[in-house]
Amino acid sequence: MLKVSGVKKLLVEVILAVVFCLAVVVLASHDDHFYTQPIFQIHRVINGKQQKVVDEFHNVDHQTDQKLTGKIINGKYSGRTLTIQNTYSDSNAMDHKLAPGQKVFIALHTKPRLHATVKDLKRDVPIAILFAIAISLLLIVLQFRGFVVIFSILVNTLLFWLAIRINERTNGAPVILIFSVLAVIFCALTLFLVMGWTKKMMVTLMAVVGSTTATILIMLLIFGFTQEKGVYYESMQYVTQLPKPLFLAEVLIGVLGAVMDEATDIVASLATLKKEKPEMSRMQLFNSGRAIGRSIMGPLINVLFFIFMAETFAMTILFLKNGNSWGYSFSMNMSLGMISSLVSAIGIVLTVLLSSLFAGLWIKGDEK
Amino acid sequence: MGTITVLWLVLLILMVSVGGSQGISSYLGLLINFGILFISVVLMAFHFSPIIVTLVSSIILLSITIFWSNASDNASSSAFFAALVILLILVAIILPIENWAKVGGFGLEDSDELEGLSTLVGIDFTAVAVSTAILSSLGAIAEAAIAIASGLDEIISQHSAILPKQLFFDGTIIGRQIIGTAVNTLFFGFFGSSLALFMWFKGLNYSLGTIINDKVFAGELIAIMVAFIGVVLTIPITTLIMSIRLHNKQKVK
Repeated sequence: MLKVSGVKKLLVEVILAVVFCLAVVVLASHDDHFYTQPIFQIHRVINGKQQKVVDEFHNVDHQTDQKLTGKIINGKYSGRTLTIQNTYSDSNAMDHKLAPGQKVFIALHTKPRLHATVKDLKRDVPIAILFAIAISLLLIVLQFRGFVVIFSILVNTLLFWLAIRINERTNGAPVILIFSVLAVIFCALTLFLVMGWTKKMMVTLMAVVGSTTATILIMLLIFGFTQEKGVYYESMQYVTQLPKPLFLAEVLIGVLGAVMDEATDIVASLATLKKEKPEMSRMQLFNSGRAIGRSIMGPLINVLFFIFMAETFAMTILFLKNGNSWGYSFSMNMSLGMISSLVSAIGIVLTVLLSSLFAGLWIKGDEK
Repeated sequence: MGTITVLWLVLLILMVSVGGSQGISSYLGLLINFGILFISVVLMAFHFSPIIVTLVSSIILLSITIFWSNASDNASSSAFFAALVILLILVAIILPIENWAKVGGFGLEDSDELEGLSTLVGIDFTAVAVSTAILSSLGAIAEAAIAIASGLDEIISQHSAILPKQLFFDGTIIGRQIIGTAVNTLFFGFFGSSLALFMWFKGLNYSLGTIINDKVFAGELIAIMVAFIGVVLTIPITTLIMSIRLHNKQKVK
């Protein structure tokens, strides 16, 4: 209940959170000496004249030259004043409009004399503040559970990084094997943290592993049946190894969270139901599970759909502006995102069936 | 038949057999959502302001996702209202962060794909990055808001005399259970969709400092953190709206 003491506690927590966020900003903005790359802080900017640029597709843009004066603030040449050229466009696709106070990474050249070019903007402060806000909110809203959530994310991130290292050592040959094993460990660990070491957790784990495996098999079956017509692996981004197994691994990991979320919901609700009404038959439990799943599957499918599709926006727009048809722009940028969304959706629907089935078979109602 | 067509067909069969008429409406919702997303991209390419296009399509997307779900009227209207409030808060967070971090457009890692493409196309890619961040959080916000609102609505329908303050307290507890697992959906979605990028970083031996400041990585990280903040905010905001509405309803009686 929200008593005076509750309000007071909330107030203290909010003040602590604000202090924490400020501290993070101050720390993050003084981390320059941790970087080996030279960092340049801009003190003064002189803008040149704006120039109109028209490309072969009649796209109009404007480019402006900037003369940046400032100081190198770390490393061997710390304290040296430099003047650097920069060019920015209205579209900001590959460049930045720089302003006084900003810090940028530069490439230093010593011959014939010390001069530099801008490499990229320093982005750690905004990232750090976003992290600080997220962590504060999580702890204020979720209280103790917040720590469990943060712990679970940390451990999963470490495991993920470990898997990527193993993948790199083996040159990506057994990528599917590595990420399948990782998927099972991810599930067991996350579900353990959410539900504890209980029979409910075992049932949920079986449902998650079962439906994810079935999903991948169905996907491979459909790929074989259609001979992968309309699957443009060449449009995959950042590919450093064989694209097909990599895509499979991406889908496998991507769908896992949603499937766990859903299976936990269904199994936990059915366990409570069976406890309250022990006379329910297996069939009745299965049908109740389907009823619960039916209402959560739609929103859950949309969660992944938006994540997978939204990240293709920038490249699709660029394709459209480069004189490509709608169909070609879709195929080259959005089709893989759509395939991931659809495969995940199939996984989410299958999870409704399997978790209801397993809960019906194995939940007796006397579990803790 | 193309792979995408067969996948849509298989999904239709599964959704109808599991969900019946509810399955059909979720399926149609997904199709329409895709249509709206695609139209939004095309409108941005026609130089409509990315932010305004995103706000308008977000409201439509949220209403389709929330009102076509199986939730009761009270639950879905509260969830929709809560999602709108969160959308506004997120826009207020995203705009300064994106303009500060400037993650719009393309990074060095995109060079291969950009070969032969003109990047000076006169569209503000920082604004496009804002759209990406907002849109990728929509599904998660809608899902969390529906789940919490439905849970609270169930409590109200069982104890109609419950005090709004007690409802707020219960809502926070239900919310904690729901969000603990909803956060996983987001993070695995992010891990999965950035798997190739992480392998790229490892393969090219990027240092931690380089990764954090990398444009592409920072862009994805900001999008997922924003979605995360949105999901956590659904707990207090949805419960608050439900308790205010309950308070008003009890006063009328």
